[in-house]
Amino acid sequence: MPSDITGAMPSIIVQPAKHPRLHLDFRLRVWITWALLLAALLAGLYQLGLDFALIRTKLPFMLGLRLSPNGFVQGVALTLLVTAMSMVFAVGLAVLTALGRLSRNPVAFAVATFYASFFRGTPLLVQVLLIYLALPQFGIVLSALTSGVMALSLNYAAYLAETIRAGITAVPRGQREAAMSLGLSPTLTAIKIIAPQAARVIIPPAGAQFVSMLKDSSLVSLMGLWELNFLAQSYGRSTYHYMEMLLTAAFIYWLLSILFEIVQHRLETRFGRAYGAPRR
Amino acid sequence: MRRQYIATFAALAITLPVTAFAGETLDRVKSKGEVVDVLVNDYPPFGFINDKNELDGFDVDVAKAFAEKLGVKLKLETPGWEAIIGGKWAGRWDVAISSATPTEERAKVVNFPAIYYSLPAVLVVNKDETAIQSAKDITGKKIGVGTGSSYEAYVNRSFVIPGQPAIEFPFDTVEAVPGDETVNFQNLALGPGVRLDAIVASAGTAQGQVEATGKLKVVGKPLFAEPNAVVTDKGDPEWDAEVARVIKELKADGTIAKISQTWFHTDITKDAE
Repeated sequence: MPSDITGAMPSIIVQPAKHPRLHLDFRLRVWITWALLLAALLAGLYQLGLDFALIRTKLPFMLGLRLSPNGFVQGVALTLLVTAMSMVFAVGLAVLTALGRLSRNPVAFAVATFYASFFRGTPLLVQVLLIYLALPQFGIVLSALTSGVMALSLNYAAYLAETIRAGITAVPRGQREAAMSLGLSPTLTAIKIIAPQAARVIIPPAGAQFVSMLKDSSLVSLMGLWELNFLAQSYGRSTYHYMEMLLTAAFIYWLLSILFEIVQHRLETRFGRAYGAPRR
Repeated sequence: MRRQYIATFAALAITLPVTAFAGETLDRVKSKGEVVDVLVNDYPPFGFINDKNELDGFDVDVAKAFAEKLGVKLKLETPGWEAIIGGKWAGRWDVAISSATPTEERAKVVNFPAIYYSLPAVLVVNKDETAIQSAKDITGKKIGVGTGSSYEAYVNRSFVIPGQPAIEFPFDTVEAVPGDETVNFQNLALGPGVRLDAIVASAGTAQGQVEATGKLKVVGKPLFAEPNAVVTDKGDPEWDAEVARVIKELKADGTIAKISQTWFHTDITKDAE
């Protein structure tokens, strides 16, 4: 049997060479398959008989090229603002939480685990409403934007903390010991030795979480922020063309996610330099 | 660490007074020269976003007239229906002109200083529906209603308008399907009984949906006359009195009737007492 297989293999390998037209490289075939799937999707949508003229008139507003009546950014611009601010705060808080989780101090450990448990164990929707509606009862009246960014940051930092902790623990103990024997300070060890190696492990799952955060930013529409999902719903209901507006928003979110994925891929390549080509 | 975090946000936050004392809202409106009106943005033709990306509709025009009569600027915000009708505004907003029906439950958390129009609630079915001719026929049927709306209370037979005669419920237990009104209308348009058998909604929104979809119809007599009131937060009787005075003047001088004619080609304020 083994000899049969080895005997059959060369013919499979050389086959494409015999038919040069079939010798398409992997990437090209991926692109063609993508194009076909996209064409099928668009053909299906075309069957819905959508009002494209309406989409064209609403698109500049949804993309955030104009300001809202209150003079604030709206649409995609606001979605990206909320997501970007939340990403910055979430990363900071997640690092602190991960360190607390790895700490030998029982209070730090307890605070970190309590916080992460609560914010991972309760729905984001409830957290958004709690911060917006419950905090004012204690005299803390936050604006809609602040409440939204706060809820997203607190929620995602709780997840991100575990990703970061996994990244830190994935760095072999020997790296730290080697750094110590070279006389590096603990801070310098953390920044120069641990962080770059942990980043390689952290980036792929963190990137996926940020894509997810981008879409969850639509929850801030509950508080009347005129971001992408808010405008889509509002225009859809006002014009009685709900499907057009929701699909437009969906495609915009999709394009934004692809941009996020490209950035993630670049970072992955950069931090993976020492390990050869990244996985596809 | 969490405290630090909150402190960072608090620095960003707009902090406003928490509890309303007598006259505080009125003072705020007068001193800022601005009234903050909240309304829903997805309730055409009462409140929606128009082609110019501005809030528009019957409620918006009433709000503009209200601010003009008060002699202050108007600021519109759209924080969502549940946030508006739940009360405890913490000084964020001054008034809500957003087609709110006064109910006993709502009156516990917000005030209704002035009724500004009255529209009937109607029963909407798919145009191919034959079994449902009036409200008597909805017993045991799936009836779509806006979540937390007065229509939800109506189909659950627990609807009381304070200070108004008791409402009749000419049906037994129905299967209420609370949800998003727009989604409900889309579901009903799929066909009779596919996802919903009927919808109870305001004649104002129903008319728009019937015309837009071409797949729905209104059946039977109007279910009940539904007064719609201006909403304020609890705790400022002086402000409530001022709101009531301004609305009364706008009704008396025909301003609201004129706005009604532009949007509905009929006067929806004449039954509003």
